Amino acid sequence: MKSLRNNYFFKRITYCLLVFVISMSITFAVLHLMPGNYIQSLLPYLADINPEFSELFKAKFGLDRPIIEQYLMYLSNILQGNWGYSFQYGAPVLDVITEKLVWTLIIILPATILSVLAGIAIGAYSGWKNGSNTDICLLNTMVFVGAVPSYWWAIMAILVFSYSLGLFPLGGFVSLDALFSGINPIDVLHHALLPILVLTLSSIPGTYYFMRNSMLMTLGEGYILTARAKGVQERDILRHHALKNAMLPMITIVSLQCAHMITGSIFIETIFSWPGMGLLTFDALSARDLPLLEGIFLMDTLVVIAANFVADILYGVADPRVRVGSHG
Amino acid sequence: MAWQILASGWDLMDREIFFRAGLAIIGSAMLIAIFAPFLTAYAPDEFCGMPLSEPSSDHLLGTNDLGQDIFSRLIYGTRATLIIGFLGALIGVATGTLIGTVAGYYGGRTDEVISRFMDVMMTIPAFPLLLVLSVLLSPGIYVISLLMGLLGGSHSGRVIRSQVLSIAETNHILGSRALGLSDAYIMARHILPNIMPLITVKYVFSAQAFMLMGVGLGFLGIGDVSVIDWGQMINHAYSSGAFALGMWWWIGPPGLAVTVLSIGLAMIGFGLEERLNPRLSHRNVEATA
Repeated sequence: MKSLRNNYFFKRITYCLLVFVISMSITFAVLHLMPGNYIQSLLPYLADINPEFSELFKAKFGLDRPIIEQYLMYLSNILQGNWGYSFQYGAPVLDVITEKLVWTLIIILPATILSVLAGIAIGAYSGWKNGSNTDICLLNTMVFVGAVPSYWWAIMAILVFSYSLGLFPLGGFVSLDALFSGINPIDVLHHALLPILVLTLSSIPGTYYFMRNSMLMTLGEGYILTARAKGVQERDILRHHALKNAMLPMITIVSLQCAHMITGSIFIETIFSWPGMGLLTFDALSARDLPLLEGIFLMDTLVVIAANFVADILYGVADPRVRVGSHG
Repeated sequence: MAWQILASGWDLMDREIFFRAGLAIIGSAMLIAIFAPFLTAYAPDEFCGMPLSEPSSDHLLGTNDLGQDIFSRLIYGTRATLIIGFLGALIGVATGTLIGTVAGYYGGRTDEVISRFMDVMMTIPAFPLLLVLSVLLSPGIYVISLLMGLLGGSHSGRVIRSQVLSIAETNHILGSRALGLSDAYIMARHILPNIMPLITVKYVFSAQAFMLMGVGLGFLGIGDVSVIDWGQMINHAYSSGAFALGMWWWIGPPGLAVTVLSIGLAMIGFGLEERLNPRLSHRNVEATA
């Protein structure tokens, strides 16, 4: 039993590593496919005037070695936290990203938690009341909410709540007062509230569909019929039989939602000028800063891998059948 | 209660009407895209009026900061948006069908390898990767569609695989195998027709997702600059201060247009899905519960 469980964890960790190595291989390939060579794009005039310097540079950075050796060097560099230099900031990519990562988490974490809770609650209710007016009403609303792109929700939210009603700031993360009085957490919250709400709103439908479908599938199971036949109270069927089983697959869905969140935050942060990874992505895109973009991509991969890994462990805890079985 | 009247109204209208409304929206968008030159008075790139003029009979939606007619640009922009959505979905679903069918039909080791590959592809965040590749290649809309399709193919591949897996076990497939028909023939003539409804639903939802993604790329300023697309229109209006000037007719229409198309595709998709899987339909609730 114990060795089987270890084997399962071992498999998951190997899988996570594999995903990361593939992501790193992609970024390595992209760097090498980049038009022109590195020195040419970094110091264009110097390379033309002084070819010897160019050679020296290549030798210094190992660009003259065989490609396999460069690849291995690249992998070990990444694993040691050396993710290259941003063209635009002239600073190590990893430093630039970790500084912004915190700001992104400030809006992504609450948005994930809120949207998952709301999606599960509304989805479960809708599935349980399947066929009722409320269910149809909720389903149609969710189809509508989900079909509107997140950037459009963001623009509308600014237009209504910030521009017309003046309830929230137009963007940014602190007021100008911060220059004199330092960063005030309540002020930051005031700025973060609208982005969080928009990100939550645009992420609810995904969780909602899955929860509603999962609920419908569970309600069709034999044990629900048995419980009804036994005369169990409807409320107890919902709480003890339906809800628990319907929520199991949601753990995996939530980790999939994570990638969706990252994508969503690129748009939301850009529109709200929120200084996180999303806005950094937008800046890197405008400046065509490839090393920085690759770093962002690697960091996004890491976040998704971490979410998957946590989901796997939670799933194992929640459902004993998975723990020893051969998991796909 | 307004809520209940609204809900019963929806019930009366039935999902079928939503499905038809979706078809009507997408159908008219296609007609608009094809007949764009006949619907507009100005070429989309023509500097035809005073910059930043308000909507008038000459310029239905006013002009942008360069004096281009916003209505013309909106109409012509339908083309790129539809092409990215439908072409991307075609490539994505074709890729997914191919690998999903092969994995599900052969099973065993082939299935194992392909499934692991799809797992890896689904873990890697597709949109950031798409951004990296777009900056590297600065692709046109056809290459963008291709990239999106290839990166997103695993999502449909996984669903199609599990469907094929169960079909491959049915008697008529086993019978065809016993008759000695070739694998390619069985997959094309006996399995494909069976998964066609599923593929259609996947296609519609992929088209919706890729269309939003394509407009999103334009919005982030890395679309194909040689075409007019709604994302670039929003981006341009947004960064030129349409907000601060209160010019809703500049920033509003392209966003509204993509929202309407997206809702249209969603209505078609959900309508199809309900026909395909009666268990999801609210009508059969008593039968399943």
